[in-house]
Amino acid sequence: MIDPGVDRNTPVLVQGITGRAGRMHARRMRDYGTRIVAGVSPRAEVADVDGVPVYATCAEAVAATGATASVLLVGAAQLADAVAEAVAAGIRLVVTPTEGMPVHDALRTRRLVQAAGVTWIGASTPGMAVAGEVKLGFLPEASLLPGPLGLMSKSGTLSYESGYRLTAAGVGTSVWIGVGGDPVKGTRFAELVPFYAAHAGTEALLIVGEIGGSEEEEFAQALIEHAFAKPVFALIAGRSSPEGITMGHAGALVHGRHGSYAAKAEALERAGVTVCGSLDEMTRAVSAWHAARA
Amino acid sequence: MFLLEHDGKSLLARCGLPVAAGVLLDTADFDPSLLPTGPWMVKAQVAAGGRGKAGLVRAADDLAAVRRCMADMLGATHRSMIVRSCRVETRVAQAHEAYLSFTLDAQAAAVRVMLAADGGVDIEAQAQVAGAVRSLVLAPEADALDAGIARLVDGLSPRLSAALGDAARRLARVFVDEDLTLLEINPLFVLVDGTWLAGDARIVTDDNASYRQAGLRALIDDRAVAYPEAWRKEHHGCDYVVVDPQGDIGLLTTGAGLSMMLIDEMRAAGLRPHNFLDVRTGGLRGDPTRLVDVLRWISEGPRVKVLLVNIFAGITDLGEFSNLLLEALSRVPQFKVPVVARLVGTRVDAARTVLAARGIALHTSLDEALAQVRVHLAEGVPA
Repeated sequence: MIDPGVDRNTPVLVQGITGRAGRMHARRMRDYGTRIVAGVSPRAEVADVDGVPVYATCAEAVAATGATASVLLVGAAQLADAVAEAVAAGIRLVVTPTEGMPVHDALRTRRLVQAAGVTWIGASTPGMAVAGEVKLGFLPEASLLPGPLGLMSKSGTLSYESGYRLTAAGVGTSVWIGVGGDPVKGTRFAELVPFYAAHAGTEALLIVGEIGGSEEEEFAQALIEHAFAKPVFALIAGRSSPEGITMGHAGALVHGRHGSYAAKAEALERAGVTVCGSLDEMTRAVSAWHAARA
Repeated sequence: MFLLEHDGKSLLARCGLPVAAGVLLDTADFDPSLLPTGPWMVKAQVAAGGRGKAGLVRAADDLAAVRRCMADMLGATHRSMIVRSCRVETRVAQAHEAYLSFTLDAQAAAVRVMLAADGGVDIEAQAQVAGAVRSLVLAPEADALDAGIARLVDGLSPRLSAALGDAARRLARVFVDEDLTLLEINPLFVLVDGTWLAGDARIVTDDNASYRQAGLRALIDDRAVAYPEAWRKEHHGCDYVVVDPQGDIGLLTTGAGLSMMLIDEMRAAGLRPHNFLDVRTGGLRGDPTRLVDVLRWISEGPRVKVLLVNIFAGITDLGEFSNLLLEALSRVPQFKVPVVARLVGTRVDAARTVLAARGIALHTSLDEALAQVRVHLAEGVPA
């Protein structure tokens, strides 16, 4: 089973910690409460970054610190190899914010993590967070309020906006997972249904999807197959996007009816999901559920 | 990006695969010596299916007929795209038509190969016939692909089995080696002598792999007019799409999902956004160049009357961003429209001070910003 379970005790590694982004996000994650135990960088001259010990390889870092999760802040061309290194070192959860990973690399990496039983969140994601406790990646604090709503999203920014409005309305999140906007990725919406079904702190679920691919349709099918009993809300971007043109995310591409808004909304509604037409409508629908819950 | 047929076939030819001889022409008044051997097929070049049924693929037996077909097709609109060029190629006679495609199965993390012994324009009808379309998901390694393809062609006539097996094995290499996400050949011509060639080519390339695909980079540079989105992404690091050439609201936005949603909501509210943009504020690195480029593109929208800046950034320093925005605006002096800014993130107070010095009010609520946009639009309309 896909298991993105983390808490404030999870020992986390940052691959690429000596880079500009790696240094900044390692510090910000630690400030939020994440237990950053080590960094990995081939730059042998760096012994530590802000007090976090830096190792040359994942294997050394894991052996020295017992890290079980890794956040990878490395370039797109290096990402597949870096994930493979983490998996070989025994890491169980990898989070990869990097944008621009070639699709065939993602395909091979997905096969690799599946064979190893490792959970991969990404690529092209702001990461994941347990609000108020731990974050792997860089979800903005203005949008993170602890609460009972599970949230998963393809788009970073649209989920920020959603979380920001829900926070203003007093609705917080339990586990927030950005699955990312790439067509081939480590974890798909449907694969997280068993996790959210079992997660005690989650009382309802919001998915922030977008046109392209078939994840929303698969997710709808998974809700039915698992008899998912918690309320589910959905916000889908790209209703008015032109056909045949990639809209920013490599996965956001409509061919005919495949990947279209209409196909997704229909599948979700058939599975009992409340499909919201705008951010405002979503905020009102989720707030109404939140206010009415026992 | 979705390749025009001509570019798809050029890619196949570069990889050593057989395609009908052809030439790309953008005027009916062409030099006849450019044409390959006739008789010909004249095929409008738009990156969308359904051309045959729309009369955009036609046979021509003599030079006058080629010119007539081209005159009819050039400038025509197909699925909201304008035909700017035609491929004229040697017509293939007396061939069996089959179907072969390669796609990525994102869920199974595998390559899906689909094969139909009888292809052609009515493949959709074929797909309804049980067993007519054979399909397998295969691991992306050469051995697994070859073994699967052998199973896929098993049971066909010896001539078809040999030709389609050869085609599938070689196309599978191209699919993986060239970083393609769609490779569909329909029709795939199998000739009486048992050889084959690609009658059409529907190809989607992975723009993320351009750093290791020199052929793709060269194509984007040579044909910037045909692939403006890919060209902008390659050279400017951001995604920009004109969604409504007559739109009156320019958008300076970051994030694909939020930008798409903003356009959806504006349209639902009766507003006309001009463009989609994911500017990627995280990649600006203190340099206004990308913003200058984006403002120039937006300023080319003939009816743009107001610029809405919507940035929700977890990490971007909004004070720094605001300075870059003002610097960029001053470098595009011909773009004289009111600016509405809606910014959320770190150092929003610094941003407010910076923008106020230029008379730009900062909103933190998107609804308020949209209300201000409407005010500016109304001001632009003569009483």
